[in-house]
Amino acid sequence: MYDAIIIGAGISGASLAFELAKYKLHIAVIEKGSDVCAGTSRGNSATVHSGHDAAYGTNKAIYNVLGNAMFDTLCSDLKVPFFRNGTIIFAINDADMEEVRRLKHNADLNRVPGVEVLDREGLLKIENYFGPEVIGGLYAPTGGMVCPYSLVIALCEQAYRNHVDFFLNSKVERIQKTKSGFFVTTPKKNFETKFVFNCAGTHADEINNLVSSNKITITPRKGEHIILDKKLSPYVRTTISQTPLNLPGGGHTKGMGIMPSVDKTIILGCGAHDVTDKDDTATTSIGLEEITSYFEKNWRHLPISEKIPKFPRNMIINAFGGLRPHATTDDFIIGESEDVKGFFNMAGIESPGLTAAPAIAQKIVQEAADKYHIEKNDFFVSIRDYEKPFREMDEDERRQAVMNNKEYGEIVCRCELVTKADIIAAIHAPLGASTVNAVKMRTRAGMGRCQGGFCSPVVAKILAEELGIDLTEVTQSGEGSNIFFPKTESLSQRNSE
Amino acid sequence: MKAYDLIVIGGGPAGMAAAIAAKENGCENILILERGPMLGGILNQCIHNGFGLHTFHEELTGPEYAARYAEKIYNQRIDYWLNTTVIHMDREKRVTVVNANEGLQILQAKAIILAMGCRERPRGALNIPGSRPAGIFSAGTAQRIINIDGYMVGHSVVILGSGDIGLIMARRMILDGAKVRVVAELLPYSSGLKRNIVQCLDDFTIPLKFRYTAIKIHGDKRLTGVTLARMDEMNKPIPGTEEFYECDTLLLSVGLVPENELSNDAGITLDPRTCGPVVNDSFETDAEGIFVCGNALHVHDLVDYVSQEAETAGKNAARFIQGMAIREKGKKVTLCGSDGVRYTVPQFLNSNRMDEKLTIRFRVGDVYHNAFVSVYFNDQRVLHRKKPILTPGEMEMIELRKDQVNRFTDLESITVKIEKE
Ligand SMILES: Cc1cc2nc3c(=O)[nH]c(=O)nc-3n(C[C@H](O)[C@H](O)[C@H](O)COP(=O)(O)OP(=O)(O)OC[C@H]3O[C@@H](n4cnc5c(N)ncnc54)[C@H](O)[C@@H]3O)c2cc1C
Ligand SMILES: Cc1cc2nc3c(=O)[nH]c(=O)nc-3n(C[C@H](O)[C@H](O)[C@H](O)COP(=O)(O)OP(=O)(O)OC[C@H]3O[C@@H](n4cnc5c(N)ncnc54)[C@H](O)[C@@H]3O)c2cc1C
Repeated sequence: MYDAIIIGAGISGASLAFELAKYKLHIAVIEKGSDVCAGTSRGNSATVHSGHDAAYGTNKAIYNVLGNAMFDTLCSDLKVPFFRNGTIIFAINDADMEEVRRLKHNADLNRVPGVEVLDREGLLKIENYFGPEVIGGLYAPTGGMVCPYSLVIALCEQAYRNHVDFFLNSKVERIQKTKSGFFVTTPKKNFETKFVFNCAGTHADEINNLVSSNKITITPRKGEHIILDKKLSPYVRTTISQTPLNLPGGGHTKGMGIMPSVDKTIILGCGAHDVTDKDDTATTSIGLEEITSYFEKNWRHLPISEKIPKFPRNMIINAFGGLRPHATTDDFIIGESEDVKGFFNMAGIESPGLTAAPAIAQKIVQEAADKYHIEKNDFFVSIRDYEKPFREMDEDERRQAVMNNKEYGEIVCRCELVTKADIIAAIHAPLGASTVNAVKMRTRAGMGRCQGGFCSPVVAKILAEELGIDLTEVTQSGEGSNIFFPKTESLSQRNSE
Repeated sequence: MKAYDLIVIGGGPAGMAAAIAAKENGCENILILERGPMLGGILNQCIHNGFGLHTFHEELTGPEYAARYAEKIYNQRIDYWLNTTVIHMDREKRVTVVNANEGLQILQAKAIILAMGCRERPRGALNIPGSRPAGIFSAGTAQRIINIDGYMVGHSVVILGSGDIGLIMARRMILDGAKVRVVAELLPYSSGLKRNIVQCLDDFTIPLKFRYTAIKIHGDKRLTGVTLARMDEMNKPIPGTEEFYECDTLLLSVGLVPENELSNDAGITLDPRTCGPVVNDSFETDAEGIFVCGNALHVHDLVDYVSQEAETAGKNAARFIQGMAIREKGKKVTLCGSDGVRYTVPQFLNSNRMDEKLTIRFRVGDVYHNAFVSVYFNDQRVLHRKKPILTPGEMEMIELRKDQVNRFTDLESITVKIEKE
């Protein structure tokens, strides 16, 4: 019997697990993916938004600003890469400037710290260059960048260290209200619990509608991104986008932006298209074309164009898609259900959900604790033990590391400098990696410019060794995604070529 | 800090041939650094025939070709470290290496030869839309898994790219019991050798579709299929030409890129066309005493040329160490390609230092029939030679003689062009 069951291990579920673990509760997280962070929290713009554009008075605005303020402490406790590089929304004509002033007004209502309307000269104090047509813009200094999956993994790991149970590859199929709480059904195992927290992303409506008569609808709204090589990293500092007027995606997005990821690659995106399949994160030719043609056309406005005059198509190393769980109410749906006691929603968490989730989770848990008189857990540990990966060590630390453990001397991913020791650590960590993609998310092996061409077979071999399975059983992302097959008696042996 | 006269980074055919040549030219204190578990580089996984026709006048497999050089390395007692990755290099010729036994250390060299080979362009670089299931491999990765690790990568295959690696992998997959549905090539011609098209595709009746590429990847966990479409002149899919191919494996053979992260570390200037360093006639980069050869310099289709080029680099590195390199004297002449010639290697020569004969290698950007390769000294044509066929897939060569270069007064630039007549 659990006290609390969290459905979904994205940023919402992970933040809730972390917050709930601060109380004396027996908690489980149930996730249908083969790893945590299997949904939208993996494929987004990785931006910690300042909160300047979320409409005043909405949950989005309130929790965006509260969430943003939490990131310094949260990321330093959990050892997650995060920096505040500021956000600039630039304008090229008077209508844009009008929009900039509107955003400034909105930002003030939302109490976003430090937001300024700048003229061209003001912008040039922040970035050395802007294209000649740029006349001014909005500057929000609290905007930042985070590694979204590192954050989700770290929150989950820390929840796990604080005795939260995790069940992966487990899709919640039914929830029944019982006298003492809920009965939750997955194909492998059933659970009884007092409370249910619905953090199922694009599927949160299905989960809610299983128990509540207050039906909700979530529409998956796709956004796509392109990643550029980290060679360009010296030229991209501030997160920059154009005023959202007349942009592809229009009002659904913050507009096409260029941002420096914490890993030094450059992220470009994104548009917005409603889709029907709630798990279809595939990139589309229309979506990718939208990004490339936008940047081809507008590259000249950006600071990077001083050094790299044209959009560098040949620097594209990858692309990815993500689905915003858009609620028809156009706002986050959060808190205890009105008609079902003990059932809490954290649903419709679309952008700026990554930023807002830590604050929403705090608020939901606080309310539940007050209402149900839940006791604090005095043994909660908030600081994450973290072994620095080889990639982040300085020369002396590296020397020392190889001396203590020879496996640090075996470089597996040459693009991102990931060693065998780093990979083994990721496999044996709490909630350790059991697939090639899980290793990739935890260590960056395969995320660099060769995209795993060289290292992914080696990663698979290490997984096989460490998990004691055959190479043919190793998967890329869980059941059915096997990579290798046994060689049958081949024609080549018969013909002995 | 351990010190060496010459450090060679990469123990493939280029690194080995360079080290041997350096030794034969009087350089004693040499160290080869190789990341892999044995010498030989990419050749270790190329178990098919067809290597060494030019060098040894017989058809060897990749490992056999590599073994001939490795033997010389052993016999000449040239030092090499395996399982050792170079993670950094600077212009002062300090090299940071890591391996399991000796840990991390910094080595000092008088000269360095870069021979890191190349890497394959991944799917991301093509920006093919769709999902990201298991079952998508670059062809070289699949080659290594099959030939070295001894596993299959799938049963039903679509191959993108008809370069030699793609062609050879088509045959390999068939011989190992898989079905190859189709080979799709974006260009209107194959960049592979004619004999490979015959022996690897035609003999097995594998269709080869020109002007086609993948426009969508299907499948959630493992690949379930690929949609191909024909491209127009702007390389946009032509509506109505889409064809769905059911398959569990997609092999990408869509180009190789010289591996030059270390060159970047040292601030060496790269040529945007070759993606390798800009070099002079002795294969020296713009960092004095740092030389480069093989696929790290520009992508080769034939290993024989790699070995030849590497010998030149090795010899010149030895000369540099012995202080025999002629530096300032002589005239710097620019070499470049235009009118259909994509690039030349080297990009500079020194009229005084250059060998009696210098081979200029270049690639064309398109297929030409019965066209002329012309060489201009400044704007005067000095060579005009008819070629029945020129294709981007095959590296071309011309030779320049030192006396010819030095006879020409006020020579500033040498340009290689393709001319219709
Ligand atoms: C293109 C794009 C760009 C974005 N950019 C930003 C940004 O820059 N900044 C920002 O703050 N926000 C951004 N967002 C929003 C942010 O990514 C989301 O708000 C956030 O990731 C949502 O997290 P979640 O945990 O609610 O959902 P998810 O991360 O989708 O997690 C839901 C989880 O529930 C699991 N699940 C679903 N159904 C079941 C079931 N039946 N049983 C068990 N498990 C189940 C799923 O597998 C998944 O792991 C962006 C979103 C998109 C799409
Ligand atoms: C997949 C493939 C198939 C080919 N098939 C044929 C063929 O059939 N016939 C033919 O004639 N030619 C073929 N070639 C071309 C020819 O074999 C290559 O051009 C030749 O092997 C290149 O030699 P190299 O020494 O420059 O590079 P490689 O053989 O790639 O050697 C480079 C070496 O450097 C090492 N290295 C790289 N970086 C570091 C570092 N940082 N630290 C330490 N070591 C490092 C690598 O591990 C590798 O061993 C093929 C090439 C490829 C890529």
